Amino acid sequence: MKEQPPHWSRTGLFKVEPQHLNQTLSRPLRNLHPAPSEPLRGGPAGKLCVPVETVQRGVEGLMYLMTESSKHMISKVDFLDSVLVLGFGEELNQILLQLYLQHHSEIRSILSQLPSNLPGYHNLEWRLDVQLASRAIRQQVVPVLTMRLLLTGGGDGTGELSRRVLQTDPGTLLHLISTLEGALAAIKTNHARRIFRNIK
Amino acid sequence: MELSESVQRGLQSLADPSSFDRRSYQVLVDVSFRSLLSSQADPSVLDQPELKQIDQILLKQSHTAATTFILEAVKQNADKSTISSCLEELSFSADRIEIFYSTHQEHRKEVERLLASIGRCPPHIHDASWCLQYHVKNDQVDKINEPFYLISLNTEKERSSDDINFTCTVEQLQDLVGKLKDAAKSVEKASQM
Repeated sequence: MKEQPPHWSRTGLFKVEPQHLNQTLSRPLRNLHPAPSEPLRGGPAGKLCVPVETVQRGVEGLMYLMTESSKHMISKVDFLDSVLVLGFGEELNQILLQLYLQHHSEIRSILSQLPSNLPGYHNLEWRLDVQLASRAIRQQVVPVLTMRLLLTGGGDGTGELSRRVLQTDPGTLLHLISTLEGALAAIKTNHARRIFRNIK
Repeated sequence: MELSESVQRGLQSLADPSSFDRRSYQVLVDVSFRSLLSSQADPSVLDQPELKQIDQILLKQSHTAATTFILEAVKQNADKSTISSCLEELSFSADRIEIFYSTHQEHRKEVERLLASIGRCPPHIHDASWCLQYHVKNDQVDKINEPFYLISLNTEKERSSDDINFTCTVEQLQDLVGKLKDAAKSVEKASQM
């Protein structure tokens, strides 16, 4: 990792005992969202006898370290090299490494759920009905396939599902099936396989 | 079939040979069907040479009555005997009933389709497009290296079309196709009942 946040030297992490470090870190890592809004007044600041702002900056710095490492999926060796630069003790470095190894896949999955601008498929529910009449015309016999498409995301990042009610007829249904089966076949082509093998 | 008084009066004028001779009767029946089926309202629809001699107010009343009657007959899926007895009561001759009924048979499916398209329903899917992409990385996570699909469902609702776009993984697309196939199987089973 090339960049470091500029305030590292001022964080006072140098003075921290290893056991306090673990405690301080576990909570923020669990709510890895934009800024840790929860003030760390009582707990860690009090125990460590340092000002709250220092603890805040320390926590932010550590979060940055963890997220950047997870984002780039860096190896153990690279991680230790990066942390070495900061001049913490050997014990502290090992604790940080353990934290990284323990949490990096979780952090990656949280990062990948951060607001994406595209709605994603969640589920499809369907029902088959026959329309018998409407206000405009009686005595119909029209088969109707009603569906509810559940999608995630869509830019608001709350993880809430959006629901769309849709309809189609049996003929179009068969067309949709054959079109989407064509899509599934595309992934098995030699071309696709070659790309997957070569972009790593 | 229940018809309002004004419709009955309009039809009775249409039945009357002193108001509409045979030729103008035929023309008015044709014009009535045509005015329902044309995609745009045509203000000159009644400007036929055969209809020029007729009192214009009477003409309009008969035209309105005829179109109302046509819509009601198709809406109720009325058969020949229902239509015939209804027109008989309004003093239509057998000849005129026959002319009306044969024109009705000619255009009936189209009028049915027109009526069926009126009304509110959820957006109707007409087509689907897809593209397969390989997700390399994004601004939050590096080294993703996974294929995914972008699916677009083209829907139409009351003449305005809309696209529903979403992404899905390979497994999710398999799930979606599986569910659609289940639906198709149940449609097939239902059609064999």
